Amino acid sequence: MSSVVFLEKLKRIWILFEELSCSAGSFFTHFGLVTDLYTFLVRWIFPVLAITIFLRCILPLLQNRGRKIVWGHLHMQDGTSVPLQHWENSIGRSRLADIVIDLPFVSRSHAVLTFRNGKWSIADLKSKNGVEVNGRRIEATEILRNGDIISIGGVKMELVLANREKGGLPQQQNSFEAPLRQDVGAGYFHEISQNSNAVRAPLAMRRSGSRQTFFLILLFQVLGGLQLFFSMGVEANPVVPLSFFLFILAECVHYSIMSWCGWKHLELELLCYFLCGLSLSVTASAASDSLLTQLTAILLGFAAYTVLLVILHDLERAERLKHFLAAVALVLLILNLAMGETHFGAKNWLDLGFVTFQPSEFVKIAFVLVGTATLDKLLTTRDMSAFIGFSAVCIGALVLMRDFGTVVVFFGTFIVIAFMRSGDMRTIALAVTGAALGTVAAVSFLPYIASRFAVWGKVWEHASTSGYQQTRTMIAAASGGLLGVGGGEGYLAQVAAADTDLIFGLLAEEWGLLVALTAILVPVFLAFYAVFLTKDCRSSFYAITACGAASIFLIQIALNVLGSVDIIPLTGITVPFVSRGGSSMVASWGLLALIKSADNRF
Amino acid sequence: MKLLLGRASVLLFFALLFVFGLFIFTAKYVSNASAWAHYPTNQHLYAEGKLVSCGNIYDRRGSILCQVKDGEVKFHTDRAVRTAVMHATGDLYGNVMTGARVAFRERLSGWDMINGVYSFHKQAGAGRDLTLNLDADLCSVAYGELSGRKGAVGVYNYRTGEILCMVSSPSFDPETPPDIEAEPEKYQGVYINRFLSATYTPGSVFKLVTAAAAIEHFDNIEHILYHCEGGLQVGGDVVTCHTVHGSVNLERALACSCNAAFAQIASDLGAGILQEYAHAAGFNTSLEVDGIRTAVGRFDASDAVGADLAWSGIGQYTNTANPLNFMAYMGAIANDGVRITPRIVKDKGIFSLINFSAVEKKRVLSSETAQRLKRMMRNNTISEYGEDNFRGLELCAKSGTAQVGGDKKPHAWFAGFLDRDDYPLAFVVVIENGGSGASVAGPIAAKVLQAAVQ
Repeated sequence: MSSVVFLEKLKRIWILFEELSCSAGSFFTHFGLVTDLYTFLVRWIFPVLAITIFLRCILPLLQNRGRKIVWGHLHMQDGTSVPLQHWENSIGRSRLADIVIDLPFVSRSHAVLTFRNGKWSIADLKSKNGVEVNGRRIEATEILRNGDIISIGGVKMELVLANREKGGLPQQQNSFEAPLRQDVGAGYFHEISQNSNAVRAPLAMRRSGSRQTFFLILLFQVLGGLQLFFSMGVEANPVVPLSFFLFILAECVHYSIMSWCGWKHLELELLCYFLCGLSLSVTASAASDSLLTQLTAILLGFAAYTVLLVILHDLERAERLKHFLAAVALVLLILNLAMGETHFGAKNWLDLGFVTFQPSEFVKIAFVLVGTATLDKLLTTRDMSAFIGFSAVCIGALVLMRDFGTVVVFFGTFIVIAFMRSGDMRTIALAVTGAALGTVAAVSFLPYIASRFAVWGKVWEHASTSGYQQTRTMIAAASGGLLGVGGGEGYLAQVAAADTDLIFGLLAEEWGLLVALTAILVPVFLAFYAVFLTKDCRSSFYAITACGAASIFLIQIALNVLGSVDIIPLTGITVPFVSRGGSSMVASWGLLALIKSADNRF
Repeated sequence: MKLLLGRASVLLFFALLFVFGLFIFTAKYVSNASAWAHYPTNQHLYAEGKLVSCGNIYDRRGSILCQVKDGEVKFHTDRAVRTAVMHATGDLYGNVMTGARVAFRERLSGWDMINGVYSFHKQAGAGRDLTLNLDADLCSVAYGELSGRKGAVGVYNYRTGEILCMVSSPSFDPETPPDIEAEPEKYQGVYINRFLSATYTPGSVFKLVTAAAAIEHFDNIEHILYHCEGGLQVGGDVVTCHTVHGSVNLERALACSCNAAFAQIASDLGAGILQEYAHAAGFNTSLEVDGIRTAVGRFDASDAVGADLAWSGIGQYTNTANPLNFMAYMGAIANDGVRITPRIVKDKGIFSLINFSAVEKKRVLSSETAQRLKRMMRNNTISEYGEDNFRGLELCAKSGTAQVGGDKKPHAWFAGFLDRDDYPLAFVVVIENGGSGASVAGPIAAKVLQAAVQ
């Protein structure tokens, strides 16, 4: 089939060239032909670039296992030595303990060894046979020194810290901040790995690899910007090339700062640069007047990301930030409920006079942070009431705002965090049952929700009424084929909310199904990546932030994409990094910082 | 952290759910994308519900049946022709589902899954052209001969499968669609191509199926005599005949369409054998004409006994036949028992090499049976229909006058083929409630076939 089409195309091009050589057409027909030729070529390049960029970003992030930083060792009586690879290490008989001592008088979850504020300490987790330090039974928590003898249910072990040759523990707390600029613990810590050569040698290569990937992203954006500019023909808006130019400049600056500061594995940022570029493209197609607003949001996102990353890097500061943000979030929610504005059925906009934004987007960051807990707290208190209370307030406020899509996002993330903290299936089952009842109630009492469910699966029968958006999305996706009709050449852009709720259709129509699918696989990858990071995390705090933030991304994109193509009922929700919208963009970068900070390799 | 790693699997579970959802979408996309893209609100291809981003439709001689000029859909310049081929081209708004503008919209619009609706430089014309096997003038003659009566006329080349004539009546001028709802009687089923999508009680033309079974199952069939006294007592009922035929052999019985003889033959053969031959002749299955499935003609004698079984062998009882399907059976008889599936789309130039479109053929009768049926059908023309009425055509045919019950007039059938190497054409004419097959449908066939061989 396609070969036939291709031959026909060649035939047409030939005819056109003949026409051109025979008649001296006006400038604009020539311009039109140049544009068409350009589109004809680049539409094949975009999917190839997108897939290449995606693979070049995810493979380094997953392949190079985290350099396992060893903070110390436990020397056992039998002469073996167990490395301490986290800031929080659980000790017990359980298979899931970080340090497994499989002896009958050791409790399943016996004790937890924690490094905090430059000091190591051990906490007894109400074990049967107790914990002794230097022969003395401890009550709850005890500070440890290098060389202390710990006895876990009678099993003796010596704590030997990795930095013993420096003569003691790290002196100042902020010795863990300095490494932001340089290799964290070159002097302090050993690096271990099954194959340390394999980790060290490609470091330089990896950096240049990341630069090449960055170059491909810039290429995609330059070609994409030109395509959009050309597609506008004689009415071309100079804002389009301008905003693309400024965006590319900003990306380069941000990338340079990040790599100059010694951050590694910038593929994570690269993926999001790529998505932001797509967000500019869809904005140019659907609402070119908002291009500069969108660009500003991206720049704010870069700034928020960098600042948040620096703050989060230190666990103490991160804990303080958590309380601060929780308070801010509550204030925002109250303000929103008191003086919010209604757009598209949901009262989730706040107008502060100089800026209009969606508070619920920023509450997401606070929500994830409030859900976190360090392993010692997680194992000793097992108390989640603060988190449950905060979640209830957030979800309650969102219900009052009628922002039900975001309710689902918060609830799904609540499930992820609550399960990570408690590991209790019954609690989760209870919560899910409650949510199911809530859904039934919402569907039966709220006509707005009920109509969304009523049309679900039958959108073609209501193609001009309640199934309008979904059918238009599917028509657009089918019109684009795998390669797309070319940026700016689509019709979905004329439909309301095409650049937010129906973004998948817009991407598929103009840039092709391959690019659209690649873009939506990024959040899926981030979910896998967050789980992957969990294993080598310093602290469970970061493991929970990463998984919580990834969960928000994932649920948002799932609701958006599957809703817009009628696999599930439609909800008005944005796609992180891609949808047009300032609050969403800034909050997405904030959430990305939560994922990034879980990566030990920074 | 091992503990948390295990618990984080909830997130992986969510991710897998999403990926699963994407798989469902992708599967839907693969099977439905063409239909989505060709939804009449898609502005890439449609304007006000009319497919406008498409190539031209030509007939076999290159006259334009449909084109888009300055955003307007234009059909053939001659009103009579465009009315005659309306069911082949389709109307403006895609109401005729078997018309090219719907059935071959993908070829016309140039949509494919890789490129979507993309076309290089729209000013140079979007989509791809389509050439039909039809002869527009022949269609016009056929439609004229129907002169407003409801029915269908089809002619095709039984060696190559090309459909030269495909007409369904009632029709209308697609450029100025009438108010169909205002005249429901006149425009009853106007969007249906009766040739492809209707079924009618076949009546006596079905005797060609029963005869094929008789030839192969009775020894010395030409010497067996059947006695007709204006009917035949079967069980408690009488199968009536329109006149008293006396003693007839199979050839004579077919020529004078003697119900009594065929009632006896059907009873002797039994339901099983009739069922088998009906199936071979194309009943209970549909044909695919370039992807368009024809309506399925039914033959089900499994519960028939006595008079019912006898009537089923005469093409009454519960039998129905689709005109195109029956025409293909005529083609099979003409083509030594091999049925060539009719085709509406013409392949051209090098594209025919790329498009896999080998002629689909199937043996439905033995060569010997086909030869004997052909001789008998030739005899029908000579002894009954009158060679003068079909001068020079070498016509082999069978008429049918299918009783439809109530006080309605019977459906008039006339089907057969030309036994000519230069014009290997098979045909079918059906007039709904038209009356006698030989006297109503026969003359139409004569006119159309004479036009076809000119």
